[in-house]
Amino acid sequence: MIHPSVIRKQRIFMIAFSLLVLITMIVSIGFGASSVSYDRIIPTILGQGEFVDEFVLFELRLPRMLVTLLAGMALAVSGSVLQSITRNDLADPGIIGINSGAGAAVAVFFLFVPIETGAFTYVIPAVAFAGALITAILIYLFAYERDRGLQPIRLILIGVGFSAALSGLMVVLISSTDRDKVDFIAQWLAGNVWGTSWPFVWALLPWLVILVPFILYNAQRLNILNMSEPVAIGVGVKVNRERIILMLTAVALAAAAVSVSGGIAFIGLMAPHIAKSLIGPRNQLFIPIAMLIGSWLLLTADTIGRNLIDPTGVPAGVVVAIIGAPYFVYLLLKK
Amino acid sequence: MVRLYTEDISIGYGDQPIVKNLSIKIPDQKITTIIGANGCGKSTLLKAITRIISHQSGSVVLDGQPISKESTKALAKKMAILPQTPESAAGLTAGELVSYGRFPHQKGLGRLTKRDIEVIDWALEVTDTIDYKHRPVDALSGGQRQRVWIAMALAQETDIIFLDEPTTYLDMAHQLEVLELLQKLNKEQGRTIVMVLHDLNQAARFADYLIALKDGEIVKAGSGEEIIQPDILRTVFNIDATIGRDPLTNKPMCLSYNLVKGA
Repeated sequence: MIHPSVIRKQRIFMIAFSLLVLITMIVSIGFGASSVSYDRIIPTILGQGEFVDEFVLFELRLPRMLVTLLAGMALAVSGSVLQSITRNDLADPGIIGINSGAGAAVAVFFLFVPIETGAFTYVIPAVAFAGALITAILIYLFAYERDRGLQPIRLILIGVGFSAALSGLMVVLISSTDRDKVDFIAQWLAGNVWGTSWPFVWALLPWLVILVPFILYNAQRLNILNMSEPVAIGVGVKVNRERIILMLTAVALAAAAVSVSGGIAFIGLMAPHIAKSLIGPRNQLFIPIAMLIGSWLLLTADTIGRNLIDPTGVPAGVVVAIIGAPYFVYLLLKK
Repeated sequence: MVRLYTEDISIGYGDQPIVKNLSIKIPDQKITTIIGANGCGKSTLLKAITRIISHQSGSVVLDGQPISKESTKALAKKMAILPQTPESAAGLTAGELVSYGRFPHQKGLGRLTKRDIEVIDWALEVTDTIDYKHRPVDALSGGQRQRVWIAMALAQETDIIFLDEPTTYLDMAHQLEVLELLQKLNKEQGRTIVMVLHDLNQAARFADYLIALKDGEIVKAGSGEEIIQPDILRTVFNIDATIGRDPLTNKPMCLSYNLVKGA
């Protein structure tokens, strides 16, 4: 029943944003310290480049860009799903405690568990993922009411409460530790893209390959959940069950993203919102666009952040927040 | 004939009982209207019968089986609901909103089949909203919007349709338009209509069967002739009513009323 002109418009946006992502990738490759100059990118991809260029492109730039793109996509899909099931345009994976849960777990782990540096890189994402998941489940258990099921507004309120409590916990933890350890945790919380090599790409990719098709398969349910509860029940949607399944999917996606990217907020808020304002509220149409916008936003933020201050750069999460915070205020004012 | 009835159903929020041990029958292929004062539990009853809220005890039985035993989707093929003042359709066109009514009949990805599209067009035609098919629902007038929501319920192709105060917020002409549409659906297609109405005279004019509730209990159920009686209205609404005849339809109507003195 969607008008063909809307579908055509969606295709055009898809192509336009894909091109935008591609152009940003190319610009990003040729930018900053250890870059590959633009005239050498194509020969290097074709295997005719020099060793240095190959190394920079395939071992440094490409994995980092892919991790950023995938994390952006995962956050965007997660935010889209949460906005639809809570019927609230301000919902974001951060709101249901993903960022703070992952952050608190990383802080506790980093401060109290002794571990060798080698294994560390690969343990941190797992810890962050577990922290995010546990927090989300706790929030869910607190929000669930026996006779009314999962009420979205309650979920949001309890999520905000949990986030605040966990942030407080982190402040307490951090304030009693050494300077260098604090630096690491602070960087992580600020969303300094952490996993920048191929293993992280392979760790992140399966989540998207499995869960994104699942979400798109459920797009019509999301559309209907976005209506009021009586309407959704009336047409035969098992509201509670679907909410729980879809929320878990959103949590898994966001937790996977945050585990390699650090605490990045606002992507899950902005990307779906921009996509909806471009193409309307139908989940099957706006989610693919939101994915491209999310990946583009995070890639751009990382590219800018990486080149802003030498030599360490600014975490992508901070750059995102600089754009995202005013956007959030704009959304609040518009409401 | 009765396909749908409740048996000693009790409904409440928390500890507060709203409906107590209520047994009602919904006559098949008739228009049934539930009337009663504010807070008497009529909307609550409608929500429980349509499984939007759960009941604490008793059962709602449809085609010989308690609805709590049946899947939500299977029920959505038998009964459709138009909730009280459905909220904004969030940017959807009328055609899209009505297409959601096809959900219980869809499988997998939910692509609309040729048959789905035929039913959607039919629902839009019957409710006289086909012209708005590609217009956003939120841009329509109150009466048009209400007809689009009814079209969505129709697209479910159910034998039974529930409506919770379908005429609220509509002007007099639009109220009549909606009620006449429901009457037409009942007469021409034999659909069972169950609705909550505030306006007593509309209830008497359009309903074959009225159920008068007070404090979650049934006062009397029957035809308009039986229910629109001074003593019943005194009990149900706490009013002293003067009853006459509607000059157009010859149905009983409440001409004027006073509050019961000393109540």
